[in-house]
This record gives sequence, structure tokens and C-alpha cells, in this order.
Amino acid sequence: MNPRLKGVHLKEMTRRQLAAGLAYTTLVPRAAQAKPLRRLASMDYGLAETLICLGCPPIALVAAQDWNRWVVEPPLPETVVNLGTSREPNLELLQALKPDAILSTPYLAGIHHRLEAIAPVVSLPLYVPEGTPLALAEAAARKLALMIGAPEAAEALQAQEQACFAEARARLAARAHMPVFLVNLMDERHVRIYGAKSLFQDVLDRIGLRNAWTGATNYWGFATVGIEALQHYGEAQLVYFDPVPPGVLASLARNPIWNALSFVKAGHVCGLPPALMFGCVPSAMRFARLMAERLPKLERR
Amino acid sequence: MSMLVSRAPRPWPLAALLIGLALAATVWSLSRLLPLSDWLTLLSATDVVDMRLLIATQSFLPRVAVSLLCGAALALAGAIFQQVLRNPLAAPTTLGIAAGAKLALGLATLWGAPALLSFGRDGVAMAGGVIAMAATMALAWRRGLSPLAVVLAGMILGLYCGALSVILLLFKEHYLTGLFIWGSGSLSQQGWDVVQGLGWRLAVLAICAGLLLRPLTLLTLDDAGARSLGLSLQLMRLAALTVAVGLTAVVVSLVGVIGFIGLVAPAVARFAGARRLGAQLLWAPLFGAALLWLTDQSVQIFDGPAGSLLPTGTVTALFGAPMILWLMRQRIAGGLAAAEARTEWRIPRPGLLLSALAFGLAVLLALALTLGRGPDGGWSLAFGAAFVDLSPWRVPRTLASLCAGAMLGAAGTILQRLMRNPMASPEVLGISAGASFGLMAVLFLTSVASRDLQILGATLGAGAVLVAMLLLGRRSSFSPERMLLTGIALGALLDALVGALAASGDPRAMLLMTWMTGSTYGVDWVQMFWAAGAAALLLALAPLALRWLDLIALGDAASTALGLRLSLVRLLLLLLTAGLTAAGTLVVGPLTFVGLMTPHLARLLGLQRAAPQLAGAVLLGALVMVSADWLGRIVAFPWQMPAGLIATLIGGPVLMTLLARR
Repeated sequence: MNPRLKGVHLKEMTRRQLAAGLAYTTLVPRAAQAKPLRRLASMDYGLAETLICLGCPPIALVAAQDWNRWVVEPPLPETVVNLGTSREPNLELLQALKPDAILSTPYLAGIHHRLEAIAPVVSLPLYVPEGTPLALAEAAARKLALMIGAPEAAEALQAQEQACFAEARARLAARAHMPVFLVNLMDERHVRIYGAKSLFQDVLDRIGLRNAWTGATNYWGFATVGIEALQHYGEAQLVYFDPVPPGVLASLARNPIWNALSFVKAGHVCGLPPALMFGCVPSAMRFARLMAERLPKLERR
Repeated sequence: MSMLVSRAPRPWPLAALLIGLALAATVWSLSRLLPLSDWLTLLSATDVVDMRLLIATQSFLPRVAVSLLCGAALALAGAIFQQVLRNPLAAPTTLGIAAGAKLALGLATLWGAPALLSFGRDGVAMAGGVIAMAATMALAWRRGLSPLAVVLAGMILGLYCGALSVILLLFKEHYLTGLFIWGSGSLSQQGWDVVQGLGWRLAVLAICAGLLLRPLTLLTLDDAGARSLGLSLQLMRLAALTVAVGLTAVVVSLVGVIGFIGLVAPAVARFAGARRLGAQLLWAPLFGAALLWLTDQSVQIFDGPAGSLLPTGTVTALFGAPMILWLMRQRIAGGLAAAEARTEWRIPRPGLLLSALAFGLAVLLALALTLGRGPDGGWSLAFGAAFVDLSPWRVPRTLASLCAGAMLGAAGTILQRLMRNPMASPEVLGISAGASFGLMAVLFLTSVASRDLQILGATLGAGAVLVAMLLLGRRSSFSPERMLLTGIALGALLDALVGALAASGDPRAMLLMTWMTGSTYGVDWVQMFWAAGAAALLLALAPLALRWLDLIALGDAASTALGLRLSLVRLLLLLLTAGLTAAGTLVVGPLTFVGLMTPHLARLLGLQRAAPQLAGAVLLGALVMVSADWLGRIVAFPWQMPAGLIATLIGGPVLMTLLARR
């Protein structure tokens, strides 16, 4: 992002803080009632991408170096400080940055007591057994918008999201009769497949596609299965995400079971650039957009 | 081999039972997949379009073949290793081959040059395995490839490669899950490629093994006897080991790491009555094939929990561990290889050396607490207010590392003297594995695993294993072999479980891995005081045991003659070791290396008697852990590398150099 533009954007946001703080006091963490929290450190990619889209990028993020491999979009501003590994963010560094608050998820509950010593920890659940990831991500976006004192940014994001899903739905209507497998190719014999309780399942529901995988999934909404588990009666399509481990595609081409799968024979296999499967609203939008761009092209092969 | 066993049961009834069970399971599974009436089409079908038929012919049947081939190959390798190394605990993995192959594959996946990839995954893994074996051999060369030296070098190399693989994983976690699936031995197949690849390679190697039968039989004589028969010992050992490594590498590279079969199958064959070498080489592969076949069929029938993949290599460990425990109730023919008597160098004034070590520790401690990296990555010394600000992040972990290192060093020394086995280390007791099981239970049974719960789980796990070990040990009057076997069984089980969890891609597995690698990240003041208290208490008890430790080194008969009540002494020493291990493990994770390494280092520095060796190991343990923790904090700033891994990385080469030189 252009630093100059960002400055303008931020200043504009700051003017709106007061109203926001007054309007949503009951919902906001106590610290935010006095003043919005703008210097946020994020322990999670999904929360970080949400913050960027809300116009207040985090000052620090874990594993920032891998952003372009897994998230790509929205681009990570260069000013974001890398805190190191996702499970063990550097505490000395974090303390030196003096964040207003630290955004985290229950996944890191084990280190929250350490983070609390530096700044208040706001733990936003994205994966809980009773919730759906997209709804939780939307709730997280609203909560974050309140925290940074820009509730209207969440509304804007939601509008964007709806428009994005509507457009994807329209463009994919021609392929909606075919259920779709969503996989990461793990090695020559196994895939990680996304199903119920995953972020992408929620997106499929919103853009009018059916998931071909109805089998069991784990806490995070995926299952690791052998390729033979992908057999499907009737028409289907398969979408695999980058990155693909080297050599795997070549090996699949020689695999008799892979080649006998209905969607492989029909040429309904499509690679997608990375989209964060454990992300929030921006990743959901990116996934929907990529699907709408790439899937219809298959027909013309 | 032991001559004590008079009754010689025939192996075939047990073999027939295993094969029968496996066959029944296979028929049942196949009939679920494809109705019995359709089985004839399996043979006649030429143009296979039906997906069910395709899965039967291209997935189910090749998988059966692969399980048979892998089981036989690993068991044959295990039998050869056990023969050549004269150690019933030797297994294909003890040479570090699996770890080496796994590391090579990880490196190639991340930075694989196109050339490497055209070489193929199996080629890369094979190269890694062969390099690991060559390194093991090089390390043990100066000592005439003596069995003990080979196993020790192999285990250290294996640990080292394992640590490097874990570092790769910590930095590139998302990318390497595939490696984990491979690493935990999933047998799922799509096509006959792997079967063909395995088939001809294994056939060649099996023929080589057959040709080696006569020379190997002579090797069962002692070294002098064999030499007088005109055999070049080193050459024969090398040839036999090469064949066995080849067998292992083929399986590891084409299918994955299936560790336990190579250990268990020869033991089962021995138990069933196949004791002579010829019989071993015939029956061990048969039992290996049957065992892996049965295991794999059971895995397919009782599929893993929802959304997870249960790799067969994991389940062989689940089968294998209880089997080892059961086997231990029988007499395993052939004792453990005893430590070779060597004249050890002894330092004239150990007090001086110990003072120097203590001074070094003080200097290191001062450095570790003050020197760090600033937000911009530059070096900075922190004093006064700056130090107070940083102290919550530096003091607890540094001091806790110090205590843990000291405790593990003491535990290792006691264990190695007690068991008179240089391979013994705190993890051998299974206590650290127990702590890990407890932590795992907490992570996977509760959705929010707070620190207190984690600590509680680890403590209970360690305690449970301790109680089990004591109950088990009392029955065998705490014989070192049995304790060692139990610990190894538990350790393998833990390894397998963690591998399986990681393969399932469950993000919680990463938390567990973090702890397993010996991270001191989460240590706060409370934990630090707790660790310091435990260290003070337990290390104060250690000097009371010094006389026992000196006496027990003389051997069972001599120490009994000198008035030692062996089982009582063993019980007390084990309790002390367990306490030291549990306390150390809880703080810095189940590191094995400090406990294994520091007693050796102390001895190599010339500290031979119990008192100086213990003090030396305590100081060295503290030194290693404090420097590991410090380096882990600053080397890759802002990344933090787990202290346990760094300890392995520092200590491994040191130990390997020392081993190779002597």
C-alpha cells in the first residue's frame, strides 16, 4: 500500500473514533471506551488481514515472511514487524513495540498469560465446535472495527463481502450443478480435504456451490485422506490450492486411481493460487473471487 | 545367543495363527469392498472402469502386497542388525537411516533443486539414508565398527537428523505435512508402481542376505574365534550392514518410516523358537510380513477417528509396544551388549576442572541474562532499568534451563552408572514420554488448554509411567535390560503418536511439537521457582547415592558381595532419577540429549568416579542448557529456536567428534 494514501486513510478514521466509542460502549473491551486501540499486534493471519481491510494494519504479526505464500491478498504493508514463529512470538520484541492490545485466538491460550504482561489480549474465537468460521470471522471483523474506532469500516467490509459473493454466485451459476472437492495436495497419495465446519464450506454455501466431500472433518474443518477416497458418482469438479509440493502433479498424472476419477477424466480439475483456509472475511472473499475467475475457464478446455 | 533355553518350540503355529488372522481380515475387508460374487472379475477384468473394481485392484491389493514386502524387508534387516550388532534392541532405525532419509526428503521438498526432483522422492530419501549410514560407520570406524560403537553413533546421528527435521518443520510447518504422512508410514497405495519398485530391489537384497548367511553364522562366534577362521571382520560386518541398510532404505524411501517391525519381528521369531541364524533369517521376515499385514488390515477395519488419517507405521508401534512388554516377561535370548572394558583417561585433579566449569557457567549466565537483540535486530546489553524491563522474558527461562540441564545431567549419570549401559538416558525410563502423554491428553481432550492444565497433565503422565515402571520393575527386581526395553517401547509409542497427530494436520500437534522440542518459551517466574526448588531438593539427595553408584559399577555379584541390597538400591536410584527427569522434562520438554550427552562428556574430560562425574555432568548440563536457551533466543532473532533442539545441535557434533576420535 502507498504509505501516503495510508496516512490519509488513517487520519480520516481517527476523526470518527469518538462517535464510534460512544455508540458501542457496551460491546467494546473496557480499554477501548476511553480511546480506540490502533496499535495492534496480531498473532493470527486471519485477524491481521481483517485489520488491513478495515484500514488499520497491525503493527506486528507472527510469521510475516510467509504471508505471500499463504495469504497474498490483501498485501502486507512493509512496516509490519515480524514477530517470528506463530506459536512463540518474540516477547522482547513485542514489549519494545508497546502495542495497545494483542489480538489472538484460543489456539494460543497457552501463552496468553505471558502476552497479558505486555498488553491486554483480545482473544477472538474463529474455530469453535458450535460456530461456523465465516460467521465468527464476520463477528470478529465487527469487534475489531469497534476496537479501532471505525465501526463503519466493518459495514463497508460486509457490503464488499456480499457484493463479492453475489458476483461469484452469478459467474459460477453455470457450474453449480457439479459438487466441488476442495483439497490441498499433501503428497503423491494424500490430500487434505475441506468440508463441514471449514471456512471454505461456508463460502461455498454463500456462492451457491455444493461441497462434494460430505465425510467427517476435524475441529478445523478438514480431513486428511488417501486419493482413493475422492471417488464420486456423477459429475464433480476438484479445486486444489497452491502451494503444491514439487513433483506431486507429475506423479498424479501416472496414478491409475487419480486418472480414473470422474472429474479427472472430464478435465474438471483446477488449481487455485493460495487462499488462506484458516483465514477470515478477506480470505473468504479472495477464495470466492478466485473460484469465480478460474472455474468457468475449465469449460473451454 | 543364549544356550539357556532347553525347550525349542517350533515357529510355525504362531506364524500360522498370525497369517490366518491377517487372511481373514483381508477377505472380510475385500468382501465389503466388492461382493464375493464379483471376485472372479478381479482376475478376468481387462478394461477396468468400475471404480470399486479399480480400488480393489489398484489400491487394496497393492496395499496388501506392500505390507507383506515391507514387513519382510524390515524384519530381515532387523534380524541382520541384531546379529551383527549383537544387540537384541538393534533395529533398522538405530543406525539413523530413517532419520537421515527423512531429513533428506525434507531438505529436498523445501529447497529441492530440479535435479534432485528428477532423481525422485525415493532417490532423495535413499541418498539421505545411505549418507546417514556412511556417517555412522565413519564415526564408529576408529573403534573397529564394534557393535556398541555403531549403535551409539547411529542413535546420536538419528537424534541429530531428527532435530534438524524438526527445525525445518518449525519454520516451514505448513509445507511439510506431507513429509509427516510419509514419516509415519501410511501404506495407502494407488497402483502397482511401489510394489514393483519394492519387489525387485528387495529380491536382489534378499539374495545378497542369503549369500552372507555363512559368514554371518561365523560372526556369532566371538571376534577372536571368527578371526582365527580367516574372516575379515570389518569387511563382513560392513557387507552385512550394507545389505540391511539397503533393505531399510528401500522401504523407507518408497513407503515411509515403519519402525517397530524390524525390532519386534526378529524378537517374535526368536521367542517362537527360531534361534539359529539360518532360522532367524527365514522366520523373522515371515513374521515381519505377517505382522505388518495383520496390522495394516486392522488399521483399515478400525479406521482412524473422524477426519484423521491413521498411518500404519504408527499402529505398528501401538502393537509393538505392548508386544515388547509381553516379550519381556519371557526370557529374551541374548543379553544386552555389555559396555566394553576400556582403560579410561582419568584427570589428576578433578576439583580444578569442576571449578573451571563452575566459573564458565557463571560467566555464561551473566552473558545470557544481559546480552540480547534490540527491536532493530542489533546487539544490545541490558543493565539497570532496561534489564528490569526485560527480566520477565530472560531470567525465568535462563534459570529454569539451568536447573533442568543440571537435573537431566544428574539423571543421565545415575542412569548410565546404574544400568551400566552408555545408551541409557533419562528418556529411557519413559518418564519424559509419560509427561508428554499427559500433555497430549490435555491438549486433545480439552478445547482450551491453559498452562496449569498442561502442567497438571504432564505431571500426572510422568507419575503414571513412574508407578507403572516401579510395578513392572519390582517383578523383575529392577533389571536394567527390562527397564531399558520398557522405556524404549514407551518412547517409540510416543514418537509414533506425535507423528500420527502431526500427519493428521491437526494444528494442536504443533503445540505439542513445540513442547517436545524443548521450548523454554512459556517459562514464567512461578515455573522457575518450582524448577529451582525441585533441582535444589533432588540434587541435594544425589550425593547420598554416591557410594552406591561407585559400588554398582563393579557389577551385580561384586556389589552384592560388598553388602549392597541391590533391588532396594535400584528402587531408590530409580525414584531419584524419575524425579529428576520429570522435573527437568516439565520445564524444558522431553530432551534426551542433555541426559545422554553430559555423562559421556564428563567421562571424556577425565571424570571417572561417581562423585566428580556427577558434579561434572550437572555443571555441563547447566552449561549446555543455558547456552542453548540463550542461542535459541538470539541467533535467529526474532525467531526463537527451542532450547532442547539447540542443545542437540550443540551437543551432537561435540559428542560425535569425541566418539570418532577415540
